[in-house]
Amino acid sequence: VSLTRRDFLIGSAALAAGASVSTPFFLPKYHSDRRPKRSRVAVLRAEQYSQQLDQILGEGLRLLLINVRGRTVVLKPNLVDYLTGNAINTHPILVLAAAEAFRRLGAKSVVVAEGPGHQRDTQLVLSQSGYQESLREEKIRFVDLNRDELIRTRLRASYTGMKELWLPRTVLEADFLVSMPKIKTHHWSGVTLAMKNMFGIVPGARYGWPKNILHWKGIQESILDLCATVPIHFVIADGVIAMEGNGPLNGAPRPLGRIVLADDPVAADATCARLMGFEPGRIAHIRHGARFLGNADPGHIAQVGETATPPATPFRVVPEFAKLYAL
Amino acid sequence: VQNPNGSWPVFAGDDHDGSWVTSLVSIALRDVVPAIPARLKGLRWLLSSAGKEASWFWKWKFRTADRHVRFDPDKFGWPWFPDTISWVVPTAFAILALNQLPCSCSGFELAASRVDRGVEMLMDRACPGSGWNAGNGVVYGATVRPHPDDTAIALLALRDRPQDPVVQGSVNYLERTGPNLTAPWSLAWAILALAAHHRPITLLRRALLALPDLFHIEDTSTLALVCLALDHEHALANLGVSM
Repeated sequence: VSLTRRDFLIGSAALAAGASVSTPFFLPKYHSDRRPKRSRVAVLRAEQYSQQLDQILGEGLRLLLINVRGRTVVLKPNLVDYLTGNAINTHPILVLAAAEAFRRLGAKSVVVAEGPGHQRDTQLVLSQSGYQESLREEKIRFVDLNRDELIRTRLRASYTGMKELWLPRTVLEADFLVSMPKIKTHHWSGVTLAMKNMFGIVPGARYGWPKNILHWKGIQESILDLCATVPIHFVIADGVIAMEGNGPLNGAPRPLGRIVLADDPVAADATCARLMGFEPGRIAHIRHGARFLGNADPGHIAQVGETATPPATPFRVVPEFAKLYAL
Repeated sequence: VQNPNGSWPVFAGDDHDGSWVTSLVSIALRDVVPAIPARLKGLRWLLSSAGKEASWFWKWKFRTADRHVRFDPDKFGWPWFPDTISWVVPTAFAILALNQLPCSCSGFELAASRVDRGVEMLMDRACPGSGWNAGNGVVYGATVRPHPDDTAIALLALRDRPQDPVVQGSVNYLERTGPNLTAPWSLAWAILALAAHHRPITLLRRALLALPDLFHIEDTSTLALVCLALDHEHALANLGVSM
């Protein structure tokens, strides 16, 4: 077979183009497989934000056999901004209930930490959303992750192509990191749950408000790199009042009446997605995360409490994410 | 800690690409004679820095394929961090820094046009009612509400345009919002901006001094800002904002 220089160049270009498109499907972009053999998830009914959450949460932690004795616990809620009547943030009553529950379980310390991505005045968000007074009353320390001491951290996956990020010491040195997302739809990523909640650990003082570098590197890819680098040890997802539609800021409140507890962020997100009426495998960071970060397959999830039954009417999403709906 | 390219890092030991603090350092060094060469180098870096939408490719993409955020990509300013898009706060800081150049001397011929373009960008990204947030006034058809601190910083950069309806509406928004602010950061920025636009600030100063946690602020940037707000005339003079 004769091969001209022109054929060779065209062939090389086609190969290069093919490789650039198909590489993600062939080569693993993660360094280690952290999936447990079996993940544990609890779906608990909670119709309103009240003192009853203490009891519900305590029961859930008991069912999942959580051991935090002598460990430093960091609770990472989702605090974005405050709009009266909108279910934007993880509710402070749930965060306080979690802090109290972990103290009762013998945690060495419990800290609440967050770096809002949209609003630079973290203290204003805290005071407007009811956190500041509650945290003060309960003597719980809050760390603004947008302005924490930073450590240059090598990423443990390469979905974004970034080699490293500066990340806050408070999170990196936690013995037990608890992601506490608000269950919401999101106009850029489909959903924002336990894994997406990790955007809040990227420091605004270094990367700006919003943390625009993560958008440019790919939202789904950034979620995977962050979750590979900073393991989430536990999830408490706030779905008492969730959000649907044009989230994460301008969606509509959607009463779901559930909180979801899990010892695996992928299992937590897959379960939350099912509760929203979505097929978890159609959400890229859950699909890829299920290859190395945790379990999305119900066969590998030991579920307690209620079953993750899809709602009669799925959560509304922006048109680009209509593909998320389960068949 | 100045980077070889003339920019400043966010902190000692940071990467050398440059960042948004370059504008603030340039302003802080304004009266330091031995620092003039370093400052000029920093301002040159600032002129070479622009939001990603300044390039033809991203302009085209934002005009055709990626139109969920309402903005005009021809009107660009400065990013927080290289290789990202322009945002309100770094653009306002850059305008304040470049406005302090005494002349359009050698190497700074583009300064005036970059400032004009930055001002256009701020006007374009204002929220539909008034004020500014991080930089998106309308996303997916929904109006995003303004933030007091972002609005105040933009208003400082736009001090020379008091007659503009966007500026007037935003000053009014800040004046309405100020009395309800319970956090020192936003309150301090509001005092500086309202003073620059000749609005009364006595009650806001009193509110700032009465905040219960004022003497327990751990964040040094908030503490510094409170000091600037309590000495607003001096602070505005150093920001190059005429009263």
